[in-house]
Amino acid sequence: MHELVEFAVEKAQELGASYAEARFEEKNGTEIVMKNGNPEGLGILADRGIGIRVLVNGGMGFASTNVLTKESVEEAVKKAVKLAKAAAKLRNRPIQFSEEDFHQVFYEVKMKKDFRNVSAEEKMEYLKLIEESVKETGVNTPMRFLRYGDFMWHKVFMNNEGALVESLIPRVSITYNLVVFEDGQMEQAPFVQRAFSGGLELIEKDKPWEWAVKDVKALQKLIKEGQKPPEGKVDLVLAPEVAGIAVHESVGHPYELDRIMGREAAQAGESFVKPEMLGERIGSEAVTVIEDPTIPNSWGFYLYDDEGVKARPRYLIREGIINEFLMNREYAAYLGMKSNAAARAINYNREPIVRMANTYLAPGDYSFEELIEDVKLGVYMVSFNEWNIDDRRYQQRYIGREAYLIENGEIKHPVRRPILEITTKGLWSSVDAVGKEVEFYPGTCGKGEPGQGVPVWMGGAHARLRDVVLRR
Amino acid sequence: MFEINELILKKAKELGFGDVVVLAYEQNRRQVRFANNEITVAKNWHTQKVNLFVEYQKRLASTTLTALDEKTIEKTLQMLMKSVKNLAPKEDYYGIAEGPFEYKDIPETFDKAIVELDEPNEYVEVAINAALEEGAKRTAGVLYTDHNKLYLTTSNGVEAFDEGTGIEISIRAFIGDEESGHGTNSVRVLKKFDPESAGRKAGEIAKMAVNPVQGEAGTFDVIFDPLAFANLMSYMSFMASAFAVEAGFSFLVGKLGQKVANDIVTIKDVGNMPNAYGTRKFDDEGVPTRETTIIENGTLNTYLLNTSFARKYKRETTANAGLLMPEAWNVYVGPGDYSKEELFSEVKRGIYITNVWYTRFQNYVTGDFSTIPRDGAFLIENGEIVKPIRNIRVSDNFQHILESIAALGKDLYHIHWWEVNTPVFTPYVLVKDVGITRATK
Repeated sequence: MHELVEFAVEKAQELGASYAEARFEEKNGTEIVMKNGNPEGLGILADRGIGIRVLVNGGMGFASTNVLTKESVEEAVKKAVKLAKAAAKLRNRPIQFSEEDFHQVFYEVKMKKDFRNVSAEEKMEYLKLIEESVKETGVNTPMRFLRYGDFMWHKVFMNNEGALVESLIPRVSITYNLVVFEDGQMEQAPFVQRAFSGGLELIEKDKPWEWAVKDVKALQKLIKEGQKPPEGKVDLVLAPEVAGIAVHESVGHPYELDRIMGREAAQAGESFVKPEMLGERIGSEAVTVIEDPTIPNSWGFYLYDDEGVKARPRYLIREGIINEFLMNREYAAYLGMKSNAAARAINYNREPIVRMANTYLAPGDYSFEELIEDVKLGVYMVSFNEWNIDDRRYQQRYIGREAYLIENGEIKHPVRRPILEITTKGLWSSVDAVGKEVEFYPGTCGKGEPGQGVPVWMGGAHARLRDVVLRR
Repeated sequence: MFEINELILKKAKELGFGDVVVLAYEQNRRQVRFANNEITVAKNWHTQKVNLFVEYQKRLASTTLTALDEKTIEKTLQMLMKSVKNLAPKEDYYGIAEGPFEYKDIPETFDKAIVELDEPNEYVEVAINAALEEGAKRTAGVLYTDHNKLYLTTSNGVEAFDEGTGIEISIRAFIGDEESGHGTNSVRVLKKFDPESAGRKAGEIAKMAVNPVQGEAGTFDVIFDPLAFANLMSYMSFMASAFAVEAGFSFLVGKLGQKVANDIVTIKDVGNMPNAYGTRKFDDEGVPTRETTIIENGTLNTYLLNTSFARKYKRETTANAGLLMPEAWNVYVGPGDYSKEELFSEVKRGIYITNVWYTRFQNYVTGDFSTIPRDGAFLIENGEIVKPIRNIRVSDNFQHILESIAALGKDLYHIHWWEVNTPVFTPYVLVKDVGITRATK
């Protein structure tokens, strides 16, 4: 495959491209769906092709093909070059890329239990285990949607500036939607996912069936014992799952430099952050947010991005101060900086754009007990269902799924749907303490057009917010 | 492509599969993306692929083939057979449609002029210039051209072909950081394409939205622009699917024959609508697409079904296969008899919401959700827009919204863009007593 990738890059240069890259991708995997105990079917994923991106006269063109012949690739290169030329005519400033150091590398994530050697029947057992474990709780769970997925993601990236990066990253995941119906009331844990880069040993260690049991029991308890949450100004302790969605939505997204510069304005939106805000305070000193693609076995794992740039942890907020944006080469160049390897594409037929990987609230030095003990009246929000944020990433809302009252330093009964609707600055300025332990939760981050759902982890440590307004 | 389809079908039957569906695509798609009034990237996709569905003694499997040589085909089928053989059967599987069927040509779904269109950038310029003329400072958006060929072959006697084209634009116009508007235009034939109207609407709304004030929380009568209401209705396309209902992803669970909306509300799926972006001649089993009334005068009439679900529920298929998951083609909200002006004159104190995004559910089965107004939103007093507002959120219940629809405009608009994946036809809609919230810190 290397020859075809090299051929594409060379051909593009011959046709006048000042910059050319080609990315071969291949995904092979399995999907198994079970609905209400019925095996719905087995999906086999086998997808591969080449995407070519070029700059000509400062215009950008992209074309892809899944017909892996020289003729077809040449045709795609021609199209990309032609499109770039035409696009250049409708540009005020030519596109340029930042200067980077490139490498020729191969890396892979090893599997202890290789899913390619395991039958579909055995993979189905994981879903059966969730079915059985949920049934054994005795909690009435009339709707159960379960999905198992795995795929090996093979990439070969090359550009005309010396990059050659080949990677093999396996990914495994289990997703469920469980509806609990008791005493005429219904609660739901939708699209809960457990997901990793690696082999089946990670699923077996994580035990999604135990997460599912925890969820249905919590929902049953919520129905039977849940009360109204307190209203008005209270303290709020966010568990890692909720802290994770909050850092993803209100820190990760608004720090994407392409969004800051307006490139995503018609789709995923813009940002309240401006380039000149580097160094400004956005949260309390307790808040540090890190974005790190290199966490081993993480759902958002990579070591080189899809422009061939080497990845590293990025400190988006350091002790409350805006420290760094997420960048690709195009947008780093606008600020005269180097890329920090945030360019990702979900498939060969998509352009790499600025994306998150694993975003988390860095740990502080409080134990969980210390976070709770001096809260007179508050709520402990463990997990969330509904959430959203405006397209400048400033006004957001999270509604608790599993949540409890905190009274005089003790966790009491469950509370129903506490609503936090707050601004980004309001949220991060209210944090006065952060826990010691970090946990991660997987998600699929949407951006780009056509949409590119990339695997990410979100998480962090527990965060305590003082004096925020909660609603019912 | 039919020779490849036939080959796959023959080999699959030889291996012992029962029901087999082979759906081949040949797609040419072109995209021009723009931001800050300039093109950010132009793209082209050429795709050949075969979606393959097979059944072996009620055991189901599917895959997509992109390499279409005989060796790959044989290898794939053998692997599918090996994989499904040991799986437990799907006991509630009841087969696929019995063909052959007759298909009618659907008007305004194919236009040679789009296939032959060499350079679509002039349309981008038209839309940008229209928005700038209205007062916008910068614009962002995307233009697509599409040319698709579909070849369907099934083990139940179906051999069907469809060829379609399309061109569409979505443009957002900005004045300052918080003043924006959005317009779209999606058509299947070139002579009906009107990028200027999309740009003009985006620019007009952005201009009206200058200097917004913080909106208040409370309960308001809301006029939803077609762009905004289409976002909510696009969720209907998923929630009306029998699959979503069984899996607990729908507020329509257990409500067949019951009132779920105001009497004036009729919502359909129309798979064979002329000049609509989601229109196809046949569904994934080859059943000719048609009009299906999901909600009729406020009552839930049917879920969207394929043949297997239809047999399970002792109904007729609604021609919405998706073999695993039935899905809508074009969601259609029946019009009322109000002009836009008459609709506004009905509102003493309320809000005009021009667009929403990020609709998320607290609970799919109860239908509790919130969504965020994006672009211009405006306070209405005594039928008149009095000032632009910002930073509000619609926080309500899906069924409550449908039950509270008080009036519908008489003109329908075709909406299809990044946030509205399944095309929606909808008028301006007046909804009473909509919950509005805002951030508190």
